[in-house]
Amino acid sequence: MKKLFALLLAFVMMFSLVACGDSGNSGTGEGGNDVAGNDGGNAGGEVVAPADGEEVVLPRNETLYFAGQQWGAVNSWNPIGTNQNNSMAIAGGVGWRETMFETLYMWNALDGKLYGLLANDDYAWNDDMTVLTCTIKDAAKWSDGTAVTAADVKRTFDIGIEIGNGVAGSYGAYIDSIEADGNKVTINAKLNDAGQPVNPLKILDFLVLQPMAQAAWIDTCVERNNGDATAILNDPGDDVVWSGPYTKYFADDQKVILVRDDNYWGQDASLWGKLPVPKYLAHNIYADNAAGEVALKAGEVDVCQQFIGNVQNLWLEDGLPISTFYDEAPYGLCLTMPTAWFNMNIPAIADNAALRRAIAMAVDYDSIIANAMTNQSPSFADVPRSLMNPTAGEQALYNQSEVADLQFTGNDIEGAKALLDSAGIVDSDGDGWREYNGEKISLNAVCPNGWSDWQASMEIVAAAGQNIGVEITTLYPEADIYNTVFTDPNQTEYAIFMWSPDASTPSNPWTRVNQFMGMDYVGIQNNWSGNWGQYKNADADALIKQIPLTTDEAEVRRLYTELTKIYLTEVPSFSLMYRPSMFHTVNETVWTNFPADDGRNIPPADCTDGYGIAALYDLQLVG
Amino acid sequence: MLNTIKQVFHSPKFVVGFAIFVAILLTMIIYPLFCPGNPLEQIGVGTFAAPGTYVSLYDATKSPTETLRLPDAADNRIEASLSKEDRVEMVEWFGAMGISVEGLDIEDTDAMVDLWNANYDPSVRPAGMTSAKINYYKRLDNSIKELNASDTVIIADYDEEGNLVTTKTIADTDYVNTKEIANVKTLPLGTDNFGRDVLKELVSATGTSIKIGLIAGIVATVIGLTLGLLAGYLGGITDDIIMFVTNIFTVIPSFVLLILITYSLGQEQRGAAVVAIVIGFTSWTWTARSVRSQVISLRNRDHVNLSKLSGHSLVRIVLLDILPYIASYVVMAFILQVSSGILAEAQLSLLGLGPKTTQVPTLGLMMNWAMLYSAHTNGSWWAYFPVILVITLISFSLNLMNTGLDQVFNPTLRD
Repeated sequence: MKKLFALLLAFVMMFSLVACGDSGNSGTGEGGNDVAGNDGGNAGGEVVAPADGEEVVLPRNETLYFAGQQWGAVNSWNPIGTNQNNSMAIAGGVGWRETMFETLYMWNALDGKLYGLLANDDYAWNDDMTVLTCTIKDAAKWSDGTAVTAADVKRTFDIGIEIGNGVAGSYGAYIDSIEADGNKVTINAKLNDAGQPVNPLKILDFLVLQPMAQAAWIDTCVERNNGDATAILNDPGDDVVWSGPYTKYFADDQKVILVRDDNYWGQDASLWGKLPVPKYLAHNIYADNAAGEVALKAGEVDVCQQFIGNVQNLWLEDGLPISTFYDEAPYGLCLTMPTAWFNMNIPAIADNAALRRAIAMAVDYDSIIANAMTNQSPSFADVPRSLMNPTAGEQALYNQSEVADLQFTGNDIEGAKALLDSAGIVDSDGDGWREYNGEKISLNAVCPNGWSDWQASMEIVAAAGQNIGVEITTLYPEADIYNTVFTDPNQTEYAIFMWSPDASTPSNPWTRVNQFMGMDYVGIQNNWSGNWGQYKNADADALIKQIPLTTDEAEVRRLYTELTKIYLTEVPSFSLMYRPSMFHTVNETVWTNFPADDGRNIPPADCTDGYGIAALYDLQLVG
Repeated sequence: MLNTIKQVFHSPKFVVGFAIFVAILLTMIIYPLFCPGNPLEQIGVGTFAAPGTYVSLYDATKSPTETLRLPDAADNRIEASLSKEDRVEMVEWFGAMGISVEGLDIEDTDAMVDLWNANYDPSVRPAGMTSAKINYYKRLDNSIKELNASDTVIIADYDEEGNLVTTKTIADTDYVNTKEIANVKTLPLGTDNFGRDVLKELVSATGTSIKIGLIAGIVATVIGLTLGLLAGYLGGITDDIIMFVTNIFTVIPSFVLLILITYSLGQEQRGAAVVAIVIGFTSWTWTARSVRSQVISLRNRDHVNLSKLSGHSLVRIVLLDILPYIASYVVMAFILQVSSGILAEAQLSLLGLGPKTTQVPTLGLMMNWAMLYSAHTNGSWWAYFPVILVITLISFSLNLMNTGLDQVFNPTLRD
């Protein structure tokens, strides 16, 4: 009897398992937003309840789904505020996100050019680069129907300086004033003591990175906050006026949805001549990268801005309709290089360029690139180490052959050991570890906990230390602690730590070079700007200061080459890999004709950033 | 004593549990003897190499060859570069390009390839075709080109003037005995995200995890036992105070406490031993409570009273007159504590709060890294499934031993 009962029980369990499996499958089928089973355009869509409480269904074939941008409920729609986490509307990646608030020009990281958006393609400098002028397009309109004018540009700049938002931090030191005359914008550069502009490159950044707000709306906002700067910065901006092709439709802690503004001025022939294709841009808020990746695989996400290890397996092994910008490694457009910075507050590091160089020589970069980036980065043999990102435009800015002798491609244990020996950094007490001034050199390699690819890199740096007799241990503090410590100019807790320099803007590679070796940032409290290792070199700094004012291309190239020489000799930091500043993996279950390396010159910028937004006008439905 | 042990080994449950546990212990000891080396050594460049035997291609080209004429070699080769699905896709492409496929036999490789070569143009993009599909056809075209390639592979080297000179040609009938190849490496469980040998790491991690379990178990049992004995035997105000503390620890979920303590310790302090002690320190309460209740039922027995009358010290009475009567229970509790200690480490590490990573592998850390590298979503089962299996086996064997002991020692369960 007992046995019979056990047998029955086993059968019941087996059946229930099978049944569970089935219901699981049909579950994903229903939730999978499958267009094929679409009756009336609504089935398979997603039900949302916008502000008026009425339930609306997002038709799958009119909605472009994103992942990897928004990680929490949106807290603000205020383009002049600072309390921002609104990744779909108020953010930048490769250029400014042009969905709701537009810049004067669009940045294209592929060809390094500026394309007119609110302004005509006519910006011009005067001869000594102290004044830049451009004109706003006649067709440019705000969402309330009024025209965008130069006064709006002026007001956006002025209010930024007044209340101290990002404008003040990014451009306050470079732009003296903006004059408005109808549609004509005149930007006056700040001048140094010699009467030269401080940095004309930063003014170009203003053109492509600063979103414009309407002067009238700014007045309303200032008025309701009684001119209190803090209140204006934190204003949620629910009544905001925008100029872009999309606006807010729905946002809560589950998702954020933008809807197309069918009155968008860009339909005018002077810009796109048509509306963007998807009616809705939607971003579900996923718990983590893994959840976003699963959704991408299931076809619930069209554009995924997340790092996916071994991304090629998605099509090679799983046979999914997924593709990236390039169909071969490195798959994406690498624009930056996550870097390990040496902390110059630690004497053993600051006093010994040989030690810095030896550690950098011993690190196995191929292993880091294969491991942390799963080969989605060119190797340092392909693109030799320098201050430039791997794009052709930046690589042309210095002379590779002049610095070839200084190059190292990593995993050179013997070379590193010999360098340390010749510098007198040896193991004199026989414990296997080298000493400096009679003390064992003991360093740590640090990055935030949970940033798995960086953690893997730091493990490999630590292993390199072990191989050359320099003790390096890894340390992974929580991100908030990490951020407080590494931005403190006097910290001695982290010896080698990771951060990425700037990626791609009109002012790069200059800004990046300044971040690597410029002395402007030395000693700044709460330093998010650059030179996190506090490296001081007056010669390098002087060269850096010359570049923005130099117009002769050969001279610029010579300066960058000199700086690269200093960088490779002194090794104040060492890049570990190249990396896209935004990932671009698309699932073509519903939409196709995404940006690809096919001559259309649209950068892989999540279909939203800078000139990358052109992708939205090119999309097609599959089939 | 001997009799008790004999009795214990008559329990089939205990024997099975014990056998599994001993087998795990033996593997832990014996495997490193045969495969020595640092379990954390990164032998692979790249992530998650699949389990299997890896042959050095470099050495293979230099090894002596035998000529084998295998009848199905050509078919296998065609199948490897042009599968059935590929053929169906080819026909689909012909359809999309408006090329007539009438009379075309899908099994006829030559006809298919000829038609393909005559028509395929990588620059043509059929309307509505996705980039993913276009890339697929490019790859397919490459593998078809390989099919068409000649049946020899040429090995060439640079001569003194920098010209390529053929040093060897390899025919498609050349075979190499794997014994002749200088470097062949079998990775029974592949490599993990760091390119480490998973099996070697697993064996080493099992050792560490069992050590963590043992330390945690000892700490928890010693604290629980001491407090339980004192509270139960002394009673009165001492009992009240001890039970007050125990109750406080009981009502706070111990895992939450564990997370808070390990988090506040910071990563620098978290060695395997420290994590083990913290686990032990947060899990002693139920041992204390149940030891106390057992002691209460013992403390008024005649032999205890006799001992008291004889003027024996507190320590002596507790150790000699009470402890032996609950020893079997304490051993069982200890086994359960070890088992839950191992699980607690795994849970903590999975949350990223386990021991510091570079120094020792533990089962939890292996799972943590596998999860951080999305092994579960990219199909790299070998990086986490064996770990789960080992954790399951350890705690299964320990629990089985515990149940077996229970059957022997618990009078109400005795047959």
